[in-house]
Amino acid sequence: MRNPFVAGPDGRVTPAQAVASYLIVCAAVIGFFWLSLAMAGIALDFGFVARFRQRIADGLLLTLGISAASLVASLAIGVPVAVGQGSRVLPVRYLCDLYVKLIRGTPLLAQIYLFFYIVGTAWGVENRLVAGVIILSVFSGAYIAEIVRGSLSSLDAGQLEAARAVGFTRAQVLRYVVVPQLVSRTLPALTGQFASIVKDSSLLSVIAVIELTQTMQEISASTFNLFGTYFVLAGLYLVLTLPIMFVSRWFERRLSYAH
Amino acid sequence: MSIANAAFSRRALIASAVAAAAATAGVSGCSTASGGAGSSAGSNAGSRTLVVGMELAYPPFETRDDAGEPTGVSVTFMRDFAEEYGYDLRIENMGFDGLIPSLQTASADCVMSSITITDEREEQVDFTDPYAVAQLAILANASSGISSIDDLNQAGRTVAVKTGSTGDVYATNNLDQAEILRLADESACVTEVSQGRADGFLYDQLTIYRNQLANPDTTVAVYIPFQDPEYWGIAVQQGDDELREELNAFIAESKRNGEFDKLTETYLADEKAAFDELGFRWFFDFDEGSDAGEGA
Repeated sequence: MRNPFVAGPDGRVTPAQAVASYLIVCAAVIGFFWLSLAMAGIALDFGFVARFRQRIADGLLLTLGISAASLVASLAIGVPVAVGQGSRVLPVRYLCDLYVKLIRGTPLLAQIYLFFYIVGTAWGVENRLVAGVIILSVFSGAYIAEIVRGSLSSLDAGQLEAARAVGFTRAQVLRYVVVPQLVSRTLPALTGQFASIVKDSSLLSVIAVIELTQTMQEISASTFNLFGTYFVLAGLYLVLTLPIMFVSRWFERRLSYAH
Repeated sequence: MSIANAAFSRRALIASAVAAAAATAGVSGCSTASGGAGSSAGSNAGSRTLVVGMELAYPPFETRDDAGEPTGVSVTFMRDFAEEYGYDLRIENMGFDGLIPSLQTASADCVMSSITITDEREEQVDFTDPYAVAQLAILANASSGISSIDDLNQAGRTVAVKTGSTGDVYATNNLDQAEILRLADESACVTEVSQGRADGFLYDQLTIYRNQLANPDTTVAVYIPFQDPEYWGIAVQQGDDELREELNAFIAESKRNGEFDKLTETYLADEKAAFDELGFRWFFDFDEGSDAGEGA
């Protein structure tokens, strides 16, 4: 009988082992928080959930909607930017480079305030939801550009030469050589980025987009139940992000067979 | 988390020497260690620690000076109280939303942060007698044509409020026609109004008066008549009658002996003149509205 808490020499873990260890870890984490609550003398009260369930559900749905729309839009921004960073036209290359550096080098909170109250006001973006999706997409687009650029540059030049040597056209090279590898290398990271977008969308609460975080802050302000609301808030974000992270990991395993 | 930390550091404080106070209390503690503990602690042997929660973001009541030390009406008031009653004062800076929870978790002994006494809050904490009275006003967009609260309460109008403030409570209860925009940041509310995204911002008279001065071209200040005055109290933990009685005694004494006039002169001389001119009721003026005593 081998030790149930140690992976096998070949790295294999049986489902029973995984479940047992995971349960122990979860119990330890929950125990730690429970102990912390007891030591800090905090009693949690979740009575507000039933009273505000409609608003919480609306906020959750809006968070999901904003995140999904931002994912699509940020892909539309990120992929061209990644290609543009390798462009032979220098102004295009440096523009893409500057965009990625500016966005990745500044806090999202600053971007939200500056975009909404300066750019948004100047160009007539009146709708908070639209402004929020644009800001989040521009923000996330820079990270997606980095993900795509990383996997583009990891393509082996020898493959492209080989493909051309056997007579593939440029379109065929793209279709049969570049895209399949690009997808398998970026999909796990892109899925992970989606989880980040879900979390980052919480900052849109500062311009009164009534997504999940704003909803919970409003509830907290009227019930004075800071700890209860933020516990539920964190739990609901986990409900959204954990499955996404699970899918990301699944893609990773699944697509590593591809080559 | 920070609140839990504060609870532990407080226990450590009580157990150990006063010297530890400066080290554990962090930035905000330094000044109180020099002001409260440094000079008076020696004479009050075995003196008690008093942890006061404040949001140091509402000048000149609770704020920081240029060196980052807590200062303002409430800070001076609590220092004077601590000196008279033999407490070692420690001021903990925290967000407004965290003030009442800090009492519930006993990481602060009392909270003096321009808090309005409301029924909802009284279910969570106990309040002293009121030490100040405040009223709401509107910061309206200059081109919105708003000259009264009724102009604001129309379909299609947008009212900005700070989440959880009494302006929020007032708007939620009274402005049933307008759309309410809840923002976390006061300056964001002002920006919404000056840019015309929101038609009005509902907040206390002092803040409205100040922000109108800062945005003279884009905003106007609008007085709201017939409102219940808001009374500010110091909040203590539920059942902490000893501290509450001491504070009540000190507040009553301060109303009599001119402590509040002194505070006005130190921190609010210009505002007092402006309020007198506008016909606004002054913060420490309790005689005028004594008939509206149960408004809170």
